[in-house]
Amino acid sequence: MSGRKFEDSHPVDFVIVGSGASGGVLARELSQSGFDVVVLEQGPRLSAADFKHDELDYWYANGLINDPVKNPQTFRKDPAAKAERVIDVPSLMYARMVGGSSVHFTANYWRFHEIDFHERSVLGEISGTGFADWPIDYAELEPYYTKVEWEVGVSGLAGASPFDPPRSKPYPMPPLPVKSSGVLLERGARKLGLHPFPAPMAIASQPFRGRPGCAHCGFCQGFGCEVMAKSSSLVTMIPEAEATGRCEVRAQSYVFEVRTGKHGRATGVAYFDRDKREHFQKARAVILAANGAETARLLLNSANARFSDGLGNSSGLVGKYLMFNCGGDVGAVFEHELNEYKSVQVTRLVHDFYESDPKRGFYGGGGIDGRLGPAPAGWALSSAPPKPSWGAGFKATLRDFPKSMIAECHTTSLAVESNSVSIDPQLKDAWGVPAMRATYRDHPDDLAIAKFLQGHAQQILDAAGAKKSWILPTVDNTVGVHLLGTCRMGNDPKSSVVDRYHRSHDVANLFLCDGSSFVTSGRGQPTMTIQALAFRAADHIARFARNNEI
Amino acid sequence: MEFNRRSFIATTAQTLGAGWLALNWPAIAAAADHAHLARRSSKPPSLAILNTEMARDVDAMCAQIIPTDDTPGAREAGAVYFVDRALGGFYAAHRAEFTADYAEFTAAVAKRFPGVRFADLAADRQIEHLQSVEESRFFGSVRFLTILGLLALPRYGGNRDEIGWKLIGFNDAHAFNPPFGYYDRDYPGFVPYDANSAS
Repeated sequence: MSGRKFEDSHPVDFVIVGSGASGGVLARELSQSGFDVVVLEQGPRLSAADFKHDELDYWYANGLINDPVKNPQTFRKDPAAKAERVIDVPSLMYARMVGGSSVHFTANYWRFHEIDFHERSVLGEISGTGFADWPIDYAELEPYYTKVEWEVGVSGLAGASPFDPPRSKPYPMPPLPVKSSGVLLERGARKLGLHPFPAPMAIASQPFRGRPGCAHCGFCQGFGCEVMAKSSSLVTMIPEAEATGRCEVRAQSYVFEVRTGKHGRATGVAYFDRDKREHFQKARAVILAANGAETARLLLNSANARFSDGLGNSSGLVGKYLMFNCGGDVGAVFEHELNEYKSVQVTRLVHDFYESDPKRGFYGGGGIDGRLGPAPAGWALSSAPPKPSWGAGFKATLRDFPKSMIAECHTTSLAVESNSVSIDPQLKDAWGVPAMRATYRDHPDDLAIAKFLQGHAQQILDAAGAKKSWILPTVDNTVGVHLLGTCRMGNDPKSSVVDRYHRSHDVANLFLCDGSSFVTSGRGQPTMTIQALAFRAADHIARFARNNEI
Repeated sequence: MEFNRRSFIATTAQTLGAGWLALNWPAIAAAADHAHLARRSSKPPSLAILNTEMARDVDAMCAQIIPTDDTPGAREAGAVYFVDRALGGFYAAHRAEFTADYAEFTAAVAKRFPGVRFADLAADRQIEHLQSVEESRFFGSVRFLTILGLLALPRYGGNRDEIGWKLIGFNDAHAFNPPFGYYDRDYPGFVPYDANSAS
């Protein structure tokens, strides 16, 4: 670990809260632009050698994520109900470590399509929702998508999907080698006249920028990559930021308040170090990149005399319009072995149902991929045929593991105001900081599009020659790993929290840049767009700083 | 197969080539070490949470959930020891509820089969009874823990001798090369679409 050390009392140019997908990019871009940057990360700093093939720890004991014991949350479906404390799995889930959720994600890296940014104008109002256009369009973001692909590292095949939006450059690496799930998804989809294509993944398919290519060990989804092939912030942006000599990444530094001064400007952030000692890091500007749950919670917990409803919350929308992305799975078993426990999750993808179609009678769209999902226990618990669930028949099912796959459907969530991150009125975390409360109920259209795609996914698997296929139950989402929309971007301070440059409408030297900025949910793979937004935000924030406009 | 750092590196070097290995080996070796440690049985099994009666009943349930036939099942995998460890570990938040649910379970068994414990019932009677409670929270918990006890790393007390992984055909190696399965073996390569094909 290289990098400079700063004193708390030294006002740095930028303090960034969060070191994940967006925080990593912002730290690297701003430090490379010549600014002094301190990144405060609540979780520990791990390295590739720390990661294990330990499904129990990572999937069932919350080994890499926010732990509901120390970082408690409450959940409710109905905004009128009392929220109950969650026990096993956090409702608002993220990886809690340097690199954030980019360390444990599956690494599907879809660009948004042009339609995602102006869908409201095309489709019209959807009553009872906050469905809106973005204040930016695809063309404005395109150069930054390209930047993600080339500087973070994405493998894929340009031009393979007839639905792909325009791009200025091909991918820097070829797609990862196709797996049997990919071959079968492609075979079934082509038979049905669809257009499957090699999946873009933020995983190096060959040595890239000093990192090795994928070893195909199969432990990506929910795990940390032990060979550094997965392009997480931990092994890409963070070390490059530190290499500038102008960036310090402080792990186990838990920010609980953004403070403001006399003129209503942010003066820095208060945080606990690993020994629960309180510190205050002074900064000329504050950037929150703490994810769509923690960024909103931090603003709400930073309420003070001047900002009584929470910092940057004159719109009243901080924490609201939470979107998880909906979705559903279809399982299948084939005659021969696929051995899907090897290599990356996804190698082929179908985007034929990406766009919303009013003829269906509901809003939404998405993509279908072929994969195994978490395994081996996760497969037996969640992806195998639901019946028989025990006994000799279940044992026979388990023997089909190597011949099995799932098709996963990734779909839209509508922005509903009552779906939100708020502060629980009673519960506090292990540091005494008021805990977060999630309120979430899928919009009926979200469930409808998920089921619609599951139907098509099953047709694809059947057309590919599945011996048997089964639709896994789609239930109301009570856990979200995509934490989107809670500080939405917009031109009007009354109906949005940040402007088109991620600057708070209320506090001139406060920027919010992560999943919270999303106006719509996209089709279920948000991190590529989170990082493109972060590259774009960094360009503009650096310009403002140079021109003395912060 | 003994799977230690040296044999792992030797095998990997043959299949992947020296250049790849040079770039990777520190991380790979660490990963293989984790795996090696995880495979080593830590201690002879003993029970910390479950009393003998409870352990016998839970073990009998595990053995019905994933039974022994021509291959070992959850009993041989030591799932009950996993359950015991889990109730004092990652599943501890559910311990009180588990104990209460177990009492309810044994009460129902006693009502149906007076004077006989679940573990001592004939197999078909056990199955009959489990069918009557398969929607209960207790059965759900035992099933959940049995599956994890079959398939989690052996260091957690179950999956003894990798019985679970052998049963399902899972190989916990740290590197593979394509082809991975039957269907990708002869894949001819991706054929692009015509420019207008998505119309």
